[in-house]
Amino acid sequence: MLALCASTVALPQDWPSRPVHLVVPYAPGGPVDLSARLIAPKLQQALGQPVVVENKPGAGGNIGADFVAKSSPDGHTLVMGAIATHAINPALYPKLAYDPVRDFRHIALLVQVPNVLVVNNELPARSVAELVALAKRQPGKLDFASGSTGSTGHLAGELFKQMTGTELVHVPYKGSAPAVADLLAGRVHLMFDNLASAAPNIQAGKLRALAVTTVRRSSFLPELPTLDESGLKGFEMTTWWGLMAPAKTPQPVVDRISQEALRAIESPDLRERWRAMGSELPGVRTPAEFTAFVERERKLYAELVKRSGATVD
Amino acid sequence: MEIFHNLYIGFVVAVHPVNVMYCFIGVILGTLIGVLPGIGPVATIAMLLPITFNLNPVAALIMLAGIYYGAQYGGSTTAILVNIPGESSSVVTCLDGYQMARQGRAGPALAIAALGSFFAGCVATLIIAVAAPPLAEVALKFGPAEYFSLMVFGLVAATVLAHGSLIKAIAMVLLGLLLGLVGTDVNSGVLRFTFGVPELSDGIGFVIVAMGMFGTAEIIANLELKDQREIFTSKVTHLYPTKQDLKDSWAAVLRGTALGSMLGILPGGGALLASFGAYTLEKKVSKHPERFGKGAIEGVAGPESANNAGAQTSFIPMLTLGIPSNAVMALMIGALMIQGIAPGPQVMNEKPELFWGLIASMWVGNLMLVVLNLPLIGMWVKLLTVPYRYLYPSILVFMAIGVFSLSNNAFDVLIMAVFGVLGYICVKLECEPAPMILGFILGPLMEENLRRAMLLSRGDPFVFVSPNKPISLAFLVASAILLVIVAMPAIRKKREEVFVEEG
Repeated sequence: MLALCASTVALPQDWPSRPVHLVVPYAPGGPVDLSARLIAPKLQQALGQPVVVENKPGAGGNIGADFVAKSSPDGHTLVMGAIATHAINPALYPKLAYDPVRDFRHIALLVQVPNVLVVNNELPARSVAELVALAKRQPGKLDFASGSTGSTGHLAGELFKQMTGTELVHVPYKGSAPAVADLLAGRVHLMFDNLASAAPNIQAGKLRALAVTTVRRSSFLPELPTLDESGLKGFEMTTWWGLMAPAKTPQPVVDRISQEALRAIESPDLRERWRAMGSELPGVRTPAEFTAFVERERKLYAELVKRSGATVD
Repeated sequence: MEIFHNLYIGFVVAVHPVNVMYCFIGVILGTLIGVLPGIGPVATIAMLLPITFNLNPVAALIMLAGIYYGAQYGGSTTAILVNIPGESSSVVTCLDGYQMARQGRAGPALAIAALGSFFAGCVATLIIAVAAPPLAEVALKFGPAEYFSLMVFGLVAATVLAHGSLIKAIAMVLLGLLLGLVGTDVNSGVLRFTFGVPELSDGIGFVIVAMGMFGTAEIIANLELKDQREIFTSKVTHLYPTKQDLKDSWAAVLRGTALGSMLGILPGGGALLASFGAYTLEKKVSKHPERFGKGAIEGVAGPESANNAGAQTSFIPMLTLGIPSNAVMALMIGALMIQGIAPGPQVMNEKPELFWGLIASMWVGNLMLVVLNLPLIGMWVKLLTVPYRYLYPSILVFMAIGVFSLSNNAFDVLIMAVFGVLGYICVKLECEPAPMILGFILGPLMEENLRRAMLLSRGDPFVFVSPNKPISLAFLVASAILLVIVAMPAIRKKREEVFVEEG
């Protein structure tokens, strides 16, 4: 019956016939979870069925992503697929149980947040150029913290090392909170942190921000230069996530959710909330573009992870 | 005095009828989920997050905070009544609280837990109001080396937790350490003891282990008793503490409050240590340490005060630095960020009504909790008279639901069952689970901090005892002293035995 539905071109008559589950592959409270809980009521209103957010954390998001990859493709199970689950982890975990491109329909890219390069206040570097010079004067002396091995913070640091030819030591933490604590105390020297979580300490003058990791400046901290314009030509890293569904989900369902999701994030109230999270409106507009985007990101990180030597096995 | 002015601002916000209402909703919900085993504040707050988006931020934060510290009150209830820790912090309450219940003294145990928590909550709130910013600076003084040495101290102290064989206690600590190794190594990303099961790659959840080792094991063990098991419910003598009880516990409450307030400030797992630390402390200073584990009221009063004090002061790193010290705090930061408020150093100056309103609401909430909980004691104790064949299956169901809800994964329920069997074996072998649980908590933290400290010092082991790390040095010296104190009676006894044989 379900297979029959899947093969038809028109929007299945009985969709959505029951509550839609939006799986968040992370623990509650993080930015991915928050955005899911913000968009769920909007989708619910548009689709006329409850949209239930369900957290399935574990294994860096792989458990939740894998669960959805193997769920029935009837448009009633969605997942917040993220840069970790769909671009980094496939390179990081050699035995990943799903394929981030083939096993999913990529519906709508929802959020793109820059990372920001922050340094401890005591560090005598007021710009990216000064930081690079400092690191070159004392190779292997400066530490950069990250929330975990293989996180965007870690990989941004590795990319930075490669592009500048500097030697920095990676110090992984369990989540970015303890990393920020040690950065504030000066036990580690720099970090590529999520913009929204670093912002309060930047604005209070407790940490010094040197640059954002995106090619375009962030509207959140517009005075802050990008790494690209600070001499690291082409440096681009954005943390992103968006709605995805199992691979065989019918095209009309994918299109419908995509339209409603984009309408939702363009609504004034969600725009306001998105801004608070440091997110810009994503440039990717259609499911096909999103798939191409995921493929691109996956290739980029496969190479970066390989060069960094990071692995989870 | 600025502090009075600030508190005045705070109380004006906190006693506003709308905020009082949200505070009340928060503490009621908190108490309820605290009582339900396994269902913790994280799942509850996550579900309520969307509602808070439409509230004003002060009301939202007041309610979420109420859930958090309300759960600390409620968590001790099941620990005392049925030996199931409702919250991670009430594991130690099981030790003497449950024994008190078996002696028909569940009422006094619950009452002292509530009163001790109330006192601790009030004091800790005052501490936040007076000294939050300087204390946050103290918290930052704790780096990997300091945390490692603190954990060493905690582990040495853990052996005191046992009241039976020291060898068995050490064995259980080691078992806990080993279980704590399961999961992904923070430094290298290597998966350890996961056997290809992705669910194990983040390690075994603490709540799952505690539920299994205490709860499930207790239920299995009770099945053996057949007729005797309901006896202890019939000997309930009085509901409220006697004068002697109060006399025995006031000092424990004070010590627990002090210890809990201090440890709660540390974002890296300090609050978890608070109740264990307080129990250890009480047993060490007691003139009758042999009463511990057999229903000593100090063994309930100290840890309960400590965990509530720690729950309050753990707000300090969040409010002043924007650093969450646990999952609940991370959720609250999320709730605030959605409101466009980023918790951090500027909140106190830019949003004084939020900062001081929250602090004042903690007082209001603690008062509500004690008023709410004292009359409930009678009802809880009556719950014990529900026949075993109804009560325990329903508890088992709640535990399964609670454990499932942690990450919506049935695998966790299976793990709980496995630990239930292990716990039962331990009951049979007279090996106590508490030292194991402590090893399980401390092991991973210790390893993580040890290796991070070594990474930062580029492999110099003297970083732990160097004079420019006085805190680390002090903890290691204290550990050595404690080790000698613990070992001494054993040595003396050995000598006595030798003398006896010679004579």
